[in-house]
Order: sequence, then C-alpha cells, then structure tokens
Amino acid sequence: MVTELQELMRANVAAPPPDRMDLAGLVADGRARVRGRRRRRTAVGAAAAAVAAVVAVSVLTAPGGGRHAEPARTPPAPDAPTVHLADAQPAVEGRDYDVLASHTNDNLDRDNGQYFDGVTNDGLVLYRDGPRSDQLWPRFALMDPATGEKDWLPKLAIGQNQTWPVSLTQDRLVLMSTRDDTGEGGTLVAHVFDRVARAWSTMTWPALADVESYRTVAGPDGRLYIGVPASQGRIPEGGWPTDSSGEADDADAEGDTYHLWSVSLSDAQDVRDEGLTFGSLAFTPSSMVWTDSTNGAAGRVHVRDLSSGEEHSFDPHAGDRCNLLSFGATDDRIVMGEYCGTYDHGVRDDRVQVLTTDGEQVTTIQDSGLDGAIAGTGGVNGLVVITAYPPDAEGTYLYDLGTDRLIRVSDAIARFAMGGPVPAGQFVWTTPVNHRHGATQWLGEVRQ
Amino acid sequence: MGRDSAADAAFTEFAAASRARLRSTAYLLCGDWDRASDHVQEGLLRVYVAWPRLLRNGGELAYARKAVVSAFLDSRRRRSSTERPSADHQDRATGEDVAAAVADREALMTALTRLPQRQRACVVLRYFEELDVRETAAALGCSEGTVKSQTSRALASLRAMFDEASRDELVVAGEGNLPW
Repeated sequence: MVTELQELMRANVAAPPPDRMDLAGLVADGRARVRGRRRRRTAVGAAAAAVAAVVAVSVLTAPGGGRHAEPARTPPAPDAPTVHLADAQPAVEGRDYDVLASHTNDNLDRDNGQYFDGVTNDGLVLYRDGPRSDQLWPRFALMDPATGEKDWLPKLAIGQNQTWPVSLTQDRLVLMSTRDDTGEGGTLVAHVFDRVARAWSTMTWPALADVESYRTVAGPDGRLYIGVPASQGRIPEGGWPTDSSGEADDADAEGDTYHLWSVSLSDAQDVRDEGLTFGSLAFTPSSMVWTDSTNGAAGRVHVRDLSSGEEHSFDPHAGDRCNLLSFGATDDRIVMGEYCGTYDHGVRDDRVQVLTTDGEQVTTIQDSGLDGAIAGTGGVNGLVVITAYPPDAEGTYLYDLGTDRLIRVSDAIARFAMGGPVPAGQFVWTTPVNHRHGATQWLGEVRQ
Repeated sequence: MGRDSAADAAFTEFAAASRARLRSTAYLLCGDWDRASDHVQEGLLRVYVAWPRLLRNGGELAYARKAVVSAFLDSRRRRSSTERPSADHQDRATGEDVAAAVADREALMTALTRLPQRQRACVVLRYFEELDVRETAAALGCSEGTVKSQTSRALASLRAMFDEASRDELVVAGEGNLPW
C-alpha cells in the first residue's frame, strides 16, 4: 500500500469549516490600508515604480470594536508661518521650469512599462524597462534626456526583484534590493554598476543582520548608512480610533526607531555599528541630520557637523498629533512631511514643515490631502515636491527652498508613484493618461 | 485618490472566487483553519493595495498566492511558539472505515508542521498548487536551485516521518519526471 502526497493534501482540505470572511469589510480595510499607505509612502524614500510589489506597512485598520474618534473640529494652525495650496502661483513651462524629458505608459493597469528611476549627477536618466509580463526582469539604460538616446546596460540578473536606487553618480550606480533565501528575514543586497568598467557587481554584508525592512541612505563619504529596525510604535489597545465610515486615524502615533549601521561598497567585511538610534536620517554635503523617531512622533531633530563632529538639537515644534512621514535636508533647510489627524467632514491636517538647520520655522505648507518631500538629493537650492490629492486642488506643486516660492506645476496626478534621486534643481512628477489607466512621467528643472 | 467602484467590484469578485483555494493553501502551510483565514485576509489586503497595478489574465491569482505565502512566512517570523496541527480534522473521524485515511491525513499535517517553513511552502506550492519550479521560486522569492534542494529535503523528511509513524509508504505521483 502507498499513500500519494497530492491526493492526501487534497483530502486534508476537502471539508473545510465555514469561511466567515466579510468581503465588504475586506474592501473597507483595503481602502483604509491604501490611504494609510499613501500617508506613509514618502517615508520609505524613493517611490516604488509601478511594479506589482508589496511594501510592508504597519497595520492601520482598527480591529473590531475600535473606539471612535473624539468629536472633531478643524485642523489647528501650525506654530509657524503657514501657506496653503491655494496660495500657489500657476507655474509656466519655459518661464518657471523646463521639461527635460518625459515618457508615457499608456496602460499600467494592464502591464508594467518603462520608468525614470532617477538621474545621475552628470545628468543622465536611469531608465528602467520592466519587469513586464513578457520580460520577467528589468532592463536598465542610461538615457540622454536631450536626445532620448539610450545606452543599455548589461543585464542585471535579479529576476522580478524590486530595486531602489540610492546613489547615481558619474562613477557608479547603486541599486538596492533584498533577498530572502532562508525565511529568516531579508538580506540587503547592493547592485553596483561601475560606469567605467561597464559591469555590475553584487554585494552583501555577512555581518549585517537580516531583517524584514531596511532604511538606506547614501552618505557623502561614499558609505551606505542603514537603519535596522530597533523599535516599533505600539498600536493603542483596542485599535486606532475610527470615524463613522470605519476609517482608522493613526495620528499622534508612537514613532519607530532604527539602529544606525554603515557599510562599505567596496569591502563586504567593513560593517560598522554607528552607535546611534534614530528615526529618520538625511545627509547634506556637510552634515548628518536625524530625528529621534519616525512614522509617528518625530521627537527632537539633531544636526551633526561632519567635519567638526559638533552636534546640536532642537524641538521642531511639529503639531501635537503629527506623524513624521518624510524627512530631508539641504545645507540650510530641513523638510518634514507630516500627517496630523483628520477632522470634521474628513478634512485632513497634512503638512510640509520647513525649518532652518538651527530650528527656526521658515514655512509650513498645510492642507488636506497632500504629501511632500525633498526632490532627490537636496543640495544648496533644493526643491520640495508636493502631491495634492483632493479634486479641487489635485496636482503637483513645488516649493523652492532657495526662493520660498510655491508654484503649481500640474492639476492632475497619476495613480502610479515613480521616481528616484535627481540632482538639485530637478524634479519628477506624473500626470494621468488614458482615463487614469496610464501615466506620463516628467523630468523637469526649475529656472533660477 | 480613491478607487473607483468598478475596481472594487472586480477585486471583490476575484476575492470571492479565489479565497477558498487560497485558504486551503494557507491551511496546508499553517495547519489551522482560523489562522489560514487570517493569512488569506492579510494576503488579499496586500492584493487590494496592489490591485490597480496587477497583471491581468491570471496574474492576480499568482500574486495573491504569493501574498498569502508571504503573510504566512511573516507571521511565522513573529510567532514565538511552535505551531501544532489543529484538532478539527481529527474530529471528523466518524467510523472505522475512515480511520486509516484520517490517520494518514493526521500524519501528513503533523509531518508538514514539523518541516521547516520554507520546505513546507515548497511542498505545498509544488504538489498542492501544482506550480513548477520556476513558479514556486517566484512565489517564494528565492532561486530555482533553492526550491529544488528544499523540496528534495522536504520529501525525504516526509517519507521518513511517515515511516516512523508506521504509515504506508508516501509517494509522489510523477516524481520520476521531476527535473532533478
């Protein structure tokens, strides 16, 4: 007598107990997660292009019986000079900015396409094709934005793994991915393209712990700075408050923290514990800037001068209910994207807070349904790209950190997030096409 | 930006059509129907998030399967206790004629539960979901070589455990044609 494995497995599931899954509830939870994901999208750095990959997000939906939100009013005024989206001036191509390149994917609901994953510091677009249904891996090229001519790179054998670029220079391209061969957590992998040798190399660091998610920032010293999860903000007992529609509101959340490690891109044994616990982290050419925590309360902001090692810190005076979602810095400005709660009639308190590196309030852009982050790698005159979602204000806006001007670049946004590091002064935005099934991705540069 | 009702309707239709099969897969992975439902719910939530970008023409199911397996693997990382097969399949033993079959099913669930999680996932995806090596590797996010080696070890362990439990020999249909 023998027992056949497949038949036995089928027999084991032939009489399942009733499934009580509530499909309507599933859709409602899915909507809440999409909105929560939108809140946090900019917090993970370079936006993922339209690849069918799941980004881990914290649970935002309240379990059954979640408490209801306190009676809501209107969003409080920030403790800072404040502007709103309606204050933005319409931007004019050729006067305020120039379009350097664009690419349209007509139907991203049907299949993946081609994307601008960033721009090198010598001005070439990192162009990615796929992975698509008939090409199950990504092809990369460096594209001259002026001519559209593409220099296809040797194949990077990563299958359908998603990559995110952290450094695009005239010498090398550094793309990151994670690999999970053991089931014990993702291994961080760097794919480095040497532009002189025209060859890819892959690097992992055995001494670096395997975890489910990393934060990765390229430092001005050529090292990668990596956040390994240290603590995660707790969900309140009973779940997040929910409004009458069941939408969960996670404002005033506890933040998450990370341990800071750094690794060399040329020596796999060179792994350093930097002895710092942080929330969000950014570099300028001369300083390292970080918060105590992120994805919740930010805590204090710390600034370290990289040449002298001197540090100072300050309270950024973010609102009491603000969750830090994005963080970036230039030589003299710090930018914090925040979600600060939902009030009557579903009005959200979303903010982009701009401070000096000494903690003085410069401007806070406040409105319902926006998120914003510094475009690319910052620099002396960085740009903040703001995406607004409400129908009456929908579009892409730019806040110029050098001139303190707020301009509106477009009046519609695509459903697909794309982009990557760009040089100072440049920015990427998307507009919808084909009844929002597709998108045009634009690369622009502001006029000074 | 909100999702349109047509997209939600399409997702609901997909979820309704696929959840039973996904739940069976999840049950074989975790050995508990309630937890299987949790894994399917989490997997379908991930599908909902990705829905506008998912490939059509069958791509949704592959994505959903991968999401459920990921939910199972994620939950295993967080779980400190050792899973035990649930008793519900034992309770369905109602007569002597079915006693042997029930014992075989019990032996399988016990043996599956004792496998390392990725070996278990390889077996379930290869022989229950009938995925080939490439598809299994894609679902698990690992190399085809890893799938082959993990599956081979898993089958050897399952056979040994069946033998130890004094059950009939465990065979795999078509194993001689497998590509290793």
